[in-house]
Amino acid sequence: MALHWFAIIFAWASVVIFFAVAVYRVVKISSMPLGLRWEVYPIPHEARDRREYGGSYMEDVDWPKKHERRSFWAEVVEFLAPEAIEIGTEIVTMKKVRGHNRYGIWAFSTLLHWGIYLFVLWALLLIVQSLTRSALLAAVAGPLLVVACAVGLVGAAGLIVRRATTPDLARYTAPIDYFNLAFLAAIFVSGLISWAGDPALAGHRAYMSAALTFQPTAVSGAVLATFLLFWAFVVYMPFSKLLHYVIKYFLYHQGLWDDAFKTKGSAADRQVIRQLGYRVKWQAPHIAAGKTWLEEAQMISPEGEKK
Amino acid sequence: MSRQPIRFRDIARLTDEPLNPLSADELMPLPALSDVPELTPPRPRWLENYDLSLDGFSDFDIPMPKTPEERERLVRGFLTGLEKLLDPETNWTFAKLFRLSLDYCMRCQTCSEACHVYLGSGRQEIYRPTYRSEILRRIYQRYFTPAGKLIGPLIGADVEVNFKTVWRLLELSYRCNICRRCAQVCPAGIDNALIAREIRKLFSQELGIAPTELLRKGTRQHLQAGSSTGMNPAAFRNSVEFLEEIIEEKTGRKITIPVDKKGADILLIHNAGEFISWPENPAAFAILFDAAGINWTLSSDLLGYDVVNYAVWFDDVELARIALQHVEVARRLGVKKIVVGECGHAHKALCVIADRVLPGDHSVSERPRESCLPLLWDIVRSGAIRFDPSRNDFPVTLHDSCNVVRLMGIVQPQREIVRAVCSQPLREMAPHGVHNYCCGGGSGFAIMDTLNFSQWRNAVSARMKVKQILDAFGDVLDPGIRKYVIAACSNCKGTLREAINYYDLWEQHGIWYGGLVELMVNAMADLPGPYITWNEEM
Repeated sequence: MALHWFAIIFAWASVVIFFAVAVYRVVKISSMPLGLRWEVYPIPHEARDRREYGGSYMEDVDWPKKHERRSFWAEVVEFLAPEAIEIGTEIVTMKKVRGHNRYGIWAFSTLLHWGIYLFVLWALLLIVQSLTRSALLAAVAGPLLVVACAVGLVGAAGLIVRRATTPDLARYTAPIDYFNLAFLAAIFVSGLISWAGDPALAGHRAYMSAALTFQPTAVSGAVLATFLLFWAFVVYMPFSKLLHYVIKYFLYHQGLWDDAFKTKGSAADRQVIRQLGYRVKWQAPHIAAGKTWLEEAQMISPEGEKK
Repeated sequence: MSRQPIRFRDIARLTDEPLNPLSADELMPLPALSDVPELTPPRPRWLENYDLSLDGFSDFDIPMPKTPEERERLVRGFLTGLEKLLDPETNWTFAKLFRLSLDYCMRCQTCSEACHVYLGSGRQEIYRPTYRSEILRRIYQRYFTPAGKLIGPLIGADVEVNFKTVWRLLELSYRCNICRRCAQVCPAGIDNALIAREIRKLFSQELGIAPTELLRKGTRQHLQAGSSTGMNPAAFRNSVEFLEEIIEEKTGRKITIPVDKKGADILLIHNAGEFISWPENPAAFAILFDAAGINWTLSSDLLGYDVVNYAVWFDDVELARIALQHVEVARRLGVKKIVVGECGHAHKALCVIADRVLPGDHSVSERPRESCLPLLWDIVRSGAIRFDPSRNDFPVTLHDSCNVVRLMGIVQPQREIVRAVCSQPLREMAPHGVHNYCCGGGSGFAIMDTLNFSQWRNAVSARMKVKQILDAFGDVLDPGIRKYVIAACSNCKGTLREAINYYDLWEQHGIWYGGLVELMVNAMADLPGPYITWNEEM
């Protein structure tokens, strides 16, 4: 019974840890200083006709004078929605990998990612089923688990083999990368075994109900293993680079697609002014360490610099 | 002969032998060239004095540290600098993207095929966009993360930092043009080009080490003398007189080029290299602006006649200093806006990157900074000047400057101009626009010619561009047919000039190069004769 209690507590703890660590990371990244503009075109939120060929507002004469402040909804519709569509398309189709990767990993990578999406969907579906007792959801859950695990396993195994047997990939693959793939493969294998022993998923549903109601119940070792591995993965994810799907937002939205120019008195302007008050700590001879960035920028040469 | 694969920890190998020697027959084949130059070995004197142990090439004529103390100082300085790069406040300009790019690369190698240096080299491992990033990542993990210290080998944190690692990493950071084509294709948004730039920055801002052409004779000279060319205000005024003579000689027109005109609508700033190497370019601007009736001026103020900002490739402090001087010149003159001439990196530096180091009244909303290309297209479509496209009746292709196109999204104005002033259809390179390949001279390579670096640039980084040009003119390669490669960027032009010479493209195929404004003036219907000077006429 202790083990079954552990499985329940671990489930809740893993979700709490996941969100706590992920939110901590997101907050920490968000609170980093406003960096310099460093965009790369095409940018999805550009006007539709320009988006096609990667053009920008800087193709216009007098563009700094034509800037219009967008309303909140315009911001959502014209700015965030196209970015979300672009990122979403990449997440679903992995089109950049397909278009540019020569190592034959696109199919496996896509299968692995779809395996994860479907497995998470299955877990959510099981929660809803436990709460609603829906017969339809109960009927769908079994096939969904099989598809998720089969697809994910082919993807994970295929990537392990590809990475191990392709010298150009193997060189860059550290043990931790194999571990990540093997971890996912183990979840999928466990899921398939648990389904084979219980195709109607009675044990899976019983476990999920138990976890939601805090009433431990005995389930098979295979079912327990599937869930424990999954929750362990949920805990592990935010500590690893597997959180890249969240980080992608910052790399794109605040990096490659950040084309916002600064206007006087704006929030960005005030932030830049604050940051120009940071002390320069670099030590090269052409830099006067200890001055603020503002003082440094107004300097042609630090005193005593050798010419 | 098959080579031993290079492991990451080989970067620390304590030998002077190149880690990855290059030979011409391993490089990407080029079409339609009967005679591709061999690579010449480095001079013995260089090998005695300098470190060429990455690939047998270098731009650094800096004597290597000899004593253990000197070596230790170099290593310590490097690690201290790396710590500063990772610190959000010390490196506020780029820490976020840098850290995330180090931490979240999935090592899928999707970016490799986007890199013209990697492809041009015949896929040599050390030129892969991820190679230098992976070295730095492994060092960072080993020396700065708890996981790296505890379970280093399991996460791949296996690169030792010694003076050879440091030096080879410095060289590696100058084997990337920072064209950022790799970032464009990364499914996770990782920017390996930024990592290359940040390594350069570490060396410059912490150790004072950067190519002579970029720091000592580049940004330092720019700030102290007024121009990275060394041109002072008096020499600039002489250049302006020379431009007026060229204009009169070529067009018969007497134009007084406005200098230091207070309150003008436009302050035009050129790359000062144009005055020296391609004076017909700023002269063409003067002819066009004069004919279009634009209220404009040049500046003879320090830095006001040289828009370059080499620091954009390697040093944020120098970047801020130069950008500030440029907008200060505009403020003193009271002009309505700055327009950047045909110089790609200056476009990006002044119009985009420096935006967030220039506060308050220097914001772009108060002191606008724009590209010349939309303005030139405005001149064409305004009808103020009559163009006769039949005067440009020769095959033309357009090289897209990465800084203007991929990094600023200015794609169509230059194409519209070409369509309006040329009689033959524009031969687009494949790929082109925002997916173009760098000329091979980006991020300073165009002007770096110490030791044997220019040979590496011609043979490796410019190789893909040469292939693109040959492919674009594939059906008209007869040397009797003059062909024109448009490059609206000084550094791209410099690279093309050298590559055309290195591969003998004029003699073999009649391929020449030049700016966009020269082509426009060449098509002006009311000028007596052609404006473009082809190689044979020089």
